[in-house]
Amino acid sequence: MKSTCYLFILGLIFSLAACNLEQDIEITFPEAENRVVVECYLEANRPFNMLITTTAGYFDPFPTTDNQFLENILVDSAQVIIRHKGIQYGLANQVVFDFSSRQVFNYHSSQLVPADFDSDFELDIVLPDGSTITGVTHILPAVPLDSVVVEFKSPTDTLARVLTYFTDIPNQDNYYRRMLHESSLDSLPEQDFVVDDRFVEDSYVFGTNYDFVVGDTIFNTIFHLTKDHYNFLQSVENATNANGNPFAQPSPLISNLEGTAKATGVFTGLNYVRNRMVIER
Amino acid sequence: MMLRPCFVLLVFLFSCSLVWGQAKYTLSGTIRDGESGETLIGASVAVPSMGLGTTANEYGFYSLSLPAGDSLTVEFSYVGFQNQDRIIFLKESLTLDVELGTGVDLEEVVVKANSYEEQLKTTEMSVEAITTKEAKLVPVAFGESDILKIIQLKPGIPSGSEGTTGLFVRGGSSDQNLIVLDEAIVYNPNHLFGFFSTFNTDAVKDLKLYKGGFPAQYGGRLSSVIDVKLKEGNNKHLSGSGGLGLISSRLTLEGPIKKNKSSFIVSGRRTYVDIFTRLLNKASEDKEDYNPIPDYYFYDLNTKINFQFGEKDRLYLSGYFGRDVFGFDGDFFDFNFDWGNATGTVRWNHVFNSKLFANTTFTYSDYQYDIENKVTGFSFKIGSNIRDINLKSDFYFALNNEHTLRFGGNVTDHQFTVGRLKAGSDDGQINFSAGQDYDGLELGLYVSDDWEVNKRTKINAGLRISGFSNDGTFYTGIEPRLAARFILSDRTSLKASYARMYQYLHLIANAGAALPTDVWYPSTARIKPQTSDQIALGISYLMSKDYFLNVETYYKYLQNQLDFVDGAELFANDNLEEEFAIGKGRGYGFEVSVEKKEGRLTGWIGYTLAFIEKGDYKTVDPFGNFAQTGYFSPIYDRRHDLSVVSIYEISRRFTLSGTFVYGSGDLRWLAPSRFTLQDVYGAGFESIVPDYRERNNYRLPPYIRLDLGLMIHFFPKWGESDLSINIINATDRRNTFFIYFEPEFREVTDGGNQIEIPEKISARQVSLFPILPSISWNFKF
Repeated sequence: MKSTCYLFILGLIFSLAACNLEQDIEITFPEAENRVVVECYLEANRPFNMLITTTAGYFDPFPTTDNQFLENILVDSAQVIIRHKGIQYGLANQVVFDFSSRQVFNYHSSQLVPADFDSDFELDIVLPDGSTITGVTHILPAVPLDSVVVEFKSPTDTLARVLTYFTDIPNQDNYYRRMLHESSLDSLPEQDFVVDDRFVEDSYVFGTNYDFVVGDTIFNTIFHLTKDHYNFLQSVENATNANGNPFAQPSPLISNLEGTAKATGVFTGLNYVRNRMVIER
Repeated sequence: MMLRPCFVLLVFLFSCSLVWGQAKYTLSGTIRDGESGETLIGASVAVPSMGLGTTANEYGFYSLSLPAGDSLTVEFSYVGFQNQDRIIFLKESLTLDVELGTGVDLEEVVVKANSYEEQLKTTEMSVEAITTKEAKLVPVAFGESDILKIIQLKPGIPSGSEGTTGLFVRGGSSDQNLIVLDEAIVYNPNHLFGFFSTFNTDAVKDLKLYKGGFPAQYGGRLSSVIDVKLKEGNNKHLSGSGGLGLISSRLTLEGPIKKNKSSFIVSGRRTYVDIFTRLLNKASEDKEDYNPIPDYYFYDLNTKINFQFGEKDRLYLSGYFGRDVFGFDGDFFDFNFDWGNATGTVRWNHVFNSKLFANTTFTYSDYQYDIENKVTGFSFKIGSNIRDINLKSDFYFALNNEHTLRFGGNVTDHQFTVGRLKAGSDDGQINFSAGQDYDGLELGLYVSDDWEVNKRTKINAGLRISGFSNDGTFYTGIEPRLAARFILSDRTSLKASYARMYQYLHLIANAGAALPTDVWYPSTARIKPQTSDQIALGISYLMSKDYFLNVETYYKYLQNQLDFVDGAELFANDNLEEEFAIGKGRGYGFEVSVEKKEGRLTGWIGYTLAFIEKGDYKTVDPFGNFAQTGYFSPIYDRRHDLSVVSIYEISRRFTLSGTFVYGSGDLRWLAPSRFTLQDVYGAGFESIVPDYRERNNYRLPPYIRLDLGLMIHFFPKWGESDLSINIINATDRRNTFFIYFEPEFREVTDGGNQIEIPEKISARQVSLFPILPSISWNFKF
């Protein structure tokens, strides 16, 4: 009798679980104006590159061909100037494809970004409709890695983890982005997250699970982020994570861009250290 | 300077009392249920020949001033009980304790908290009350009777999302409810992430909810007071009750320790879904792809003992302990999450004389959560805690039939641990920690006078002075309270009230749903106390012998409302205040209810039209981001809310019940647009980044639910039992729990790598309940 009762209850629970509690829903938003999105990462001794795109309605149809995908979102005919120490760098509206990074930009200058970690870079964009976008940033020095340690679970175990140590810069707020790739930088990262240094007094360590075997190649990258870049990445992550999570707080994008265009995006310096290593016992 | 008006008011109140204090003798005592010895809150005492009367207070105590006389007939009554007439010879002040009997089987009547006449005459407005007997007849999910869920069917108290017990009373947020269990604060009234409340209906005597017109003895929260009283225990004979439901069982035992003098009650319940899931996990442990189901259960225990010492003193000891436990034990990953409340109350009732009654309470409240997570080589612990120790004294002084004074005070020591975090590796190489501890001292002093100006007009004027101290910062709050009633006719009364409230605690909760990880935070030098000013106007109308109409309208203005900056980092943040934004709010609306409490058909219809807006936010950190400008509606801005509750007693054996709820959908903050983020080399591009703009820009479809219940009563020799068959969501409507977006991708090859390009985004709605039948068996002996 007892087991029959249990079976009945289990059956009822599973019947309920099997009920279709999900369904499509039609959502109509009030008309939201699309806005411009700017991505510009200034790397010392690299050309000036910038991507200016636009947002689309959330349920707008996506382009059906790969070419259309870019055409639909690129914003052309903007005047883009970056100033540094009184020198103006004009970025021409031309689509460039960086084969080494497999990235696309639609504003470019072949002049190199000065390796200056002390002075600001200022951005001025005038869009075709006359509205403006401005921004200020700087490039931070990279933070060197102290060591990268491979640890096997036991002397006989084949699985290893990787611990990456570096020293936090004292007496200032620091923001870091950690990326770890396996095999190639073209693959999606195994780890990719941003942190600030509020929990850390001196030494940082990033660990992995026991996922690696002898012969694996890993790329450890530590970016030293500006606060603006950190805020932007955090807000992107929060916005993406909130999508469908009833317990998460949605977040608007936090951009360091200003001006009449009410654009979003990020204008930031970029610096990092990257370590390539082959797992050995 | 601020104290001067308080002093003037005190002098005024006392002098009024002296001027009108002309009665010669006083009749006083306690009114109890003759079957169990429980005090009857709100029972009526009347001397019809003189047109005089009063009601028992929340401790069952009454006091009535009468002129000397022979053969005065005093009538004691309480709905559901037989009236009792006593003839007294009043030549001196007299104590008369009365026990009322039902005379009929209790199951045949629904005991109500207040008679219509009392509702008409009292200055109290914006009050909803429910007894456990009412609660047990209303259909509920899984057969788990839940008094806090049922009170949400009353007008002006919309709940949060389906499956939560978050209360948003008259536009207030879920942290603005003072929830007290036997006078001890319950900080998190939820089990199972809000599916059930912490109150075991078997152990609860009654629940009263104030939405406005707050009496001066209450303070500390802006939007509501939910006063839950535990049963005292049957002091006549041993009895018990319990139930077997689909997901939990419960048992209550009560009885005399010394007959008519002292009694006890012990009540416990526990869910047992974990027993089934463990069986299932064990049966499937050999399957390769099987993912074990985590353990989850909750339990709670209520206990109360009371002793009578002589004729004038009674001591009550009560306690609550409840925990939710959620855990997973895997090969590489252990996770434990438990949370819960503990409360303790020591209460001493003392009758000084026939006019003065005192209640002194010492309470302890604790709420905490702990999360422990172990992954190979690393461990992580986080927890938060709030602990209160409170001493409170309330005096009830029935000066004469025109003036009833109440005065008292309380002092509460709060201790907060906010976001205690410890993490590190087992080898000790990696360690970090965070967390803040705060202390706070909260004080309150109050006085009020329930003044019957004349037969038509009654005023309840009060003043509360509150204070809060934290780390050298001290705040003071002057909280005037005023309620007035004017009887237009023997069927109609007009009511009005004003209340200013201060709240010194803030809940850090960044989502609409109540979560156990929400953290309480004290007012500090930068975070000022929340305040509200509420005015309400109402009319009560006795439509006929059976039907009572109540209409109220209100306006509430809120200040120092806490929200969070965009992208707030609330997790283990030592600079938490920099994530706060402080703003204002306003709520206004209209509520109407028709009740029928007697006869075979009982129930109520309630409708609320409500508006709530918040805005004018300023960030605590001058560099913080709060993109939203102007006023906006919070997610719980429910424009229309209709509930119909009906209970029909077909016969002594069968009772049919039903509830119907229609509510405008809640609001959600959805992104109206999106873009593609290329990001830096190595990151991989993010093809769909939502671009959130205006807050809470989308209203969910309306919430509609019909629940039906049939209760079959049995009368075996050993007592009573009933079989409760419920059908929740009888129309099988898919109400929205949450919405998510599901993109569809196509794969393309780029430089030898497969990348995904989005093709289409669909919106999907997730519901919590389909049609949900349940059965439970309840017994009483």
